[in-house]
Amino acid sequence: MITLLAAQAAGDAGIVETIQKTFGLNAPFFIAQVINFFLVIFVLKKFAFGPIQTILEQRRARIAEGEEKLKRIEKQLAESEQTTSAAIAKANEDAVRLINEAKQGAAAFSEQKAQEAISQAQQILAKAEAAAKADRDRLSSELKREFGRLVATTTAQVTGKVLSNDDQKRINDEALAKIEG
Amino acid sequence: MFRRKLIVSLAAWLSCFGTVWAGGGEGHHALPLYAPQLSDFVTNSMVMVWIAVGLIVLFCRAATRKMSLIPAGVQNLAEWAVETLYDFLAGLMGDHLTKRVFWFFGTIFFFILVNNYMGLVPGVGTVGWNTVDANGQRGFIPFMRGGNADINMTAAMAFTFALLWFYWALTENGLKGFLSHIFAPKGNFGALMMVMMVPIFLFVGVLEIISIAIRPVALSFRLFGNIYGGEQTLESLMALIPKALQPFLSWLPAFPFYFVELLVGFVQALVFTLLCAIFLKLICDHGDEAHH
Repeated sequence: MITLLAAQAAGDAGIVETIQKTFGLNAPFFIAQVINFFLVIFVLKKFAFGPIQTILEQRRARIAEGEEKLKRIEKQLAESEQTTSAAIAKANEDAVRLINEAKQGAAAFSEQKAQEAISQAQQILAKAEAAAKADRDRLSSELKREFGRLVATTTAQVTGKVLSNDDQKRINDEALAKIEG
Repeated sequence: MFRRKLIVSLAAWLSCFGTVWAGGGEGHHALPLYAPQLSDFVTNSMVMVWIAVGLIVLFCRAATRKMSLIPAGVQNLAEWAVETLYDFLAGLMGDHLTKRVFWFFGTIFFFILVNNYMGLVPGVGTVGWNTVDANGQRGFIPFMRGGNADINMTAAMAFTFALLWFYWALTENGLKGFLSHIFAPKGNFGALMMVMMVPIFLFVGVLEIISIAIRPVALSFRLFGNIYGGEQTLESLMALIPKALQPFLSWLPAFPFYFVELLVGFVQALVFTLLCAIFLKLICDHGDEAHH
């Protein structure tokens, strides 16, 4: 157009007219096509490029946000894993400590109970021995008494004498001394 | 598979049949360089542009009516197309500039692409009516013509870009930066050398201004020429078939070239967008670096 205007200004109207006639270039149709073109620009900008670029931008933002979230989640996961492993390690330590303490406690308790059982057994044994000794002493004294009585009776019957208490005591002591001796 | 073949064959047959039907069996009509008027204010290329605008609106509504963060169907396709183009331009111009100007470059690319492909739809350029002028000369006016096969459309886009280019260049660089970008000597010179270089770079600046002035014209005619040439080629190839066989076989010679035109349609949309992006990047280079 500028060239055409320049040519026109130079007075070379023939060329311009020829071009205009040959190609049908004229102002009203040119302006009409400019209007058509601007109509297309308006339509495409309003109904195509605008909404599409907006949604592309939204999607880009969403993807970026998703990536950011993913990074944050990964970081949180790593931190969580670290915390969990630390907690597990601590729990293991506590568990080991508790088991050891329980083992030690159990051993001490067992020892204590064993000692108590031994002590009780010893007491029972001592009691049994004392009871047995008392029984034996009682039986021995009963036996001695019965034996003395038998000896005194036998002596009285053999000698035909009535024995006094002193005689009976002496005979009993002598007989017991012989048996024990 | 069979259905696809049937549709392709039907479309190809319709494209050639349309010519004959509309032209009353007159045969080949050369596509005029200008877009014929359907009325005082409407050309047949404008009709195509309006249809393209309508299709773009429908597609955009379908793609963005129920947008969700997990895309599906048309939304997925639209997002893929927009994101791919955005990333491509960002690689070329940088993020800052692309974010600022994507609405224009995205429009340029998709609008040119849709228009180029719509020009290949069977019936476009071939369905119309015959005319006889005052001299008895027979003519043919198609109902529709590819939007970019009209110099008014390509010029509208190119000159809109030229104006926006000035605006973006000035806002990114400032007036001083803009002028120094064009006229100031580039490189490190000693004092004496600098004095010698000033007139040279002033002359280079003048050349640069001429180059800047020619850019929109070049952009307009490049796109127009390629698309018009493609449509003209297809029409001429259809006319190679003898008249008696044209209703049934005129699609045959043009058929392989439809695939070429599909490629050309994409490449031309990309070339126009790329050139605009490079022109803008060249002038905003300082601004972009300063920004980063």
